[in-house]
This record gives sequence, structure tokens and C-alpha cells, in this order.
Amino acid sequence: MLRAETLFKTFGALQVTKGVSLEIPAGIRHAIIGPNGAGKTTLFNLLAGELAPDEGRILIDGQDVTAFAPDRRARRGLSRSFQKNNLFLSGTVRDNLVVADIVARGYGAHFWTRLSDNRRAHEKTAEIAEQVGLADLLDRGVSELSYGAQRQLEVGLALMPDPKVLLLDEPTSGMSPEETGRMLQLIDDLPRTLAVLLIEHDMDLVFSHADRITVLNYGEILMEGTPQEVRGSDIVQETYLGGKAH
Amino acid sequence: MRNLMSFRSTLAALTLIALLISWTNAGYFGMEILAEIAILALLAMSLDLLAGYTGLVSLGHAALFGCGAYAFAVFTAFWGWPPSLSMLAATLLTGLIALIVGSVVTRVQGIFFIMITLAIGEMGYELVFKTRALGGDDGLAGIPRLDLSAIGVDLNDPGVFALALILLVAVCYLLLKRLLASPYGAILVGLHDNAGRMRALGLPVQRYQTSIFAFSGAIAGFAGTLSAQHTMFISPQLLHWTTSGEVLVMGILGGLGTLVGPVIGAALITLLRHELSDLTDYWGLWLGVFLIIAVMGGKNGVVGWLEAGWNALTRRGETSKQSDRSKNDAAG
Repeated sequence: MLRAETLFKTFGALQVTKGVSLEIPAGIRHAIIGPNGAGKTTLFNLLAGELAPDEGRILIDGQDVTAFAPDRRARRGLSRSFQKNNLFLSGTVRDNLVVADIVARGYGAHFWTRLSDNRRAHEKTAEIAEQVGLADLLDRGVSELSYGAQRQLEVGLALMPDPKVLLLDEPTSGMSPEETGRMLQLIDDLPRTLAVLLIEHDMDLVFSHADRITVLNYGEILMEGTPQEVRGSDIVQETYLGGKAH
Repeated sequence: MRNLMSFRSTLAALTLIALLISWTNAGYFGMEILAEIAILALLAMSLDLLAGYTGLVSLGHAALFGCGAYAFAVFTAFWGWPPSLSMLAATLLTGLIALIVGSVVTRVQGIFFIMITLAIGEMGYELVFKTRALGGDDGLAGIPRLDLSAIGVDLNDPGVFALALILLVAVCYLLLKRLLASPYGAILVGLHDNAGRMRALGLPVQRYQTSIFAFSGAIAGFAGTLSAQHTMFISPQLLHWTTSGEVLVMGILGGLGTLVGPVIGAALITLLRHELSDLTDYWGLWLGVFLIIAVMGGKNGVVGWLEAGWNALTRRGETSKQSDRSKNDAAG
């Protein structure tokens, strides 16, 4: 569903992405791990279209989207959440999800229908709110939500377009253990038609919830495999997990 | 949120009633002031769509206002077109120019947007100021008003003209309110709040920003055709950036992003200018004092203060309601 072919990206003299390739079929939860400065966020921004690669191609569902701006990639079925909450702070949870629905379903040019009359939008909003555990907070102002609830909304916004590919940038960062548990359940429950790529720091989360793992180090792929293979690998143990364990 | 909406609607109705009451009491000079208020209210509402709702603060809005006025003057006084057709043509022409300008200026954000709209506005001002065919710095005279004698309305009567403008502003307010309650309106607010996230969700951000720039510009041009008919004489000052600044101040004084706020701001500033300038040479100084009071304490102008007052009153009625309700209301 999402495919990246030998991506290169250089900032000045610094090579941040060196020949990274990824293949994420529908239904797979694919995690990217690596130490700070490994180029995870740069890779993410290349995939989302915030940065243009110097070399390489990115394909969504077989279509080359390398030259597409972020909004055009989003319309091709790629959706992302952000590492730092990136919400519409002046509105309620409902306002946030409804505006995402308008963009996702492309009826922003309707200037004469009453938004409050749009039953389908409100049903979809209620459905996603339920899915991310915000059903009781729909009419709460976003700025007064707890950090964890804002994090849930962050993922909720990314789910509104019914994407084919979902990029999650550290979805559980800063969450309490309880909130992390709920977020993991949410990720597990995502429809199996979806290709999910997540960046994550939490090793337990990665090993127990991802189907495949790519380990990045200094912009290069150190290895790729199942959680068992990665856990058992000597190089990964040395460079990332801090020496031989067990 | 719903309470807030109905509060603003009530405020809009009260503003209309206040304008109508002053109309019944106004003499010749009063009618002139009311007409001026109505035109500036329309212009300020159009800027509110852009600056208040979409977050695109333009300092070139007066150039579009002046464009509408000059186009109307050329169509009627030079080319002899009927005023009704000229109004339509001038509005569309201004909208078209705003579409072209908008597609350029929306490439930049924030302070750069303010500067580039200022620069383009000043180019328009200079062009008109230096063009002899448009009267240059002498301006243009001999502009006719719309002839509605067919339905028994004489717009050359100052009272009738003022009343027609007040009612027109009321109609435009209702139309714009409807627009803002649409999905398109929600997109505008979303762009103000977080344009980056809108893009990530899949919105072609610049296209939408350009569309509201063009629409807002067309309304400014329409207000310009009314201004030309009101004074029947126009000068390049209409296009000057200080006019843009003054209209922006009207919005800020009344409350940006509230639609009714700019109307109140237009009325207050026009009244203050005429009333205070009779009493003191330092009327601008007093206007500054009013402006400081209106935006103090993080309140959104007059409307923000009234809403805060209203919330305090209604909260006193209900015992021990959650104290941070008003915070959310102010943000909405």
C-alpha cells in the first residue's frame, strides 16, 4: 500500500536519510525504531510530503506521489498524526472532527448548506469519537482537554479521512500508562484494511504490537524483520538496545 | 456555544434597532453619518471574513474598496452605463482583481502577508493618484446614484439613501452569517486556527485562501460603489493604506471574527470622529484611549466585553457553575 524506494535526503553536509526503502502492505503495522538522530522524523516527513527527497520514489497504492504536496498525498489516502499535538484549539472536539470530515470528504466549497443539518458528518464524527474514546467529551473545548485526551483527538483527526495509509508519529508520547494502554488497544483495533506505519520510542509497545520493525541508525536501515528477529539480532542489541541483554 | 451564537444575533438585532432609531431622529447631517456608517460597516464585515475568520490580516483592503468606487465612477460618469449595471460590473471587476492578487499574496504567511498586501494596495493608490485620466489627486466628480424611481424610491433623498444602506447592511449580515454557518465557513475558521493541519488533512490551503480573498474583495468593491454614490465625489484617499488601517481598527474595536463586531466598530469610530472632533482637536488621542480599553484584558473588542459581561450576569443566576466555562466561550 505504501512503498518507499531508496530515499535519500541531505541537509547541507548532513546525510539524514541514506537509501531507505520500505514496503508496507495493507493490514500491516510497521514500526520504525532507532536512537535519537537516526532520521525517523525526517523519513516520516519525506513520506508525508513535508520534505522532498533528493532521490528515490514514494508510492501510495501503486501511484507515484513523490512530487505531490502533503495535501495531495492526503487526498490519495495518506493520513498522519503529529508527534506534538496539532489541533484546532479554538473549537470543541466536535468542531475539530467535523472540519476534518469536511476536508476529507471534500465539501468545503459548499457555502450555502447548513453544517448543523449535515447528519452524515455528525454520525461520522460520533463514530470516530467513539473509536478514540472521546464520545463523552464531544462538546468539550479542546484547550481544556487533558493532554492524553488531546493525544487521542490527534489520532482521531488522522482517522477521519478513512485513510489507506496511516502514519502515527509517537502516538503514546507523554501519555500515562493507563492512557498508553487505551491507545494501544485503539491501534490494535484499527481496521485490517489499513497500512499503519508508526514511529515509537517505547520498546515494549513496538515488540508487542508491530508486525514488522525497521531499525534506523544514522539514516540507514540497520535491519528489518519481525519483532522476534529484531529482538534476537546482535547488531540491534549493540547499537540500540544498549549492549547484549539477557 | 449556542448561547454565544444567539447572544451575537441579539446584539446584531439591537445594533440594527439602534441604527433605525437614530435614523428616525437624524437631521440632514445625521443621515450623511448614518450612510457613512453603513458603508464602512459593510467594508469592515468584508475584512472580518478575511482577517477575523480566516486569519489573513490585509492592509490592502482599501485599494479594493477604492477599485470598486473608481470602476463605478468610470462606468457611469465616463462611459454612461446605467448605475445598476455599473454596480454589478464594478463588483465583479474588483472580485476578479482580488482573485488575481489573492492567488499571489496567499503564497506568503503572517507578517509577510501583511506587508505584501500593503505594498500592492499602495501600488493601486499610486496608480490612481498619478493617473490624470482618473482625476489624479483631484479625484472624480459627477457620479450618479442608482435610480429606483420606478418603484417609488428616491435615493437622492439623504434619508431614503441612508435607510436603504442600513437595510442593505442588515441583509448582507444575514447572508454572511449563513455563509459562515456552512462547511465553507468552518473551513475558514479551521484555516485561521491551524492551516498546517488543514493541509495535512488534505485541504488545498492556498486555493481556499484565494477564494475568500476574492469574495471578500468583491464585497469591498461593492461597498466602494456605494461609497462613490454616497459622496458622488471620490479621491485616491479611498485606496490609501490608512483607510485599510482604519477599517481594521473598526474590526478590532468591535471584535474581529464576530461579524457584528465590525459593524459596531464602524458605528463607534464614525460617531467618535464626528462627535469628538467637535469637542476637541485631540479626537485621535481619545480614540486611542477607547481602543486600548476595548482590547485590554485579552477581550475581543466591544463584543468580547459584552459577552464577558453577559456570561458574568448569567452565571450569577445559576449557582456554582463550573468557573472555566467563560474561558472556553471566549476562545470560541
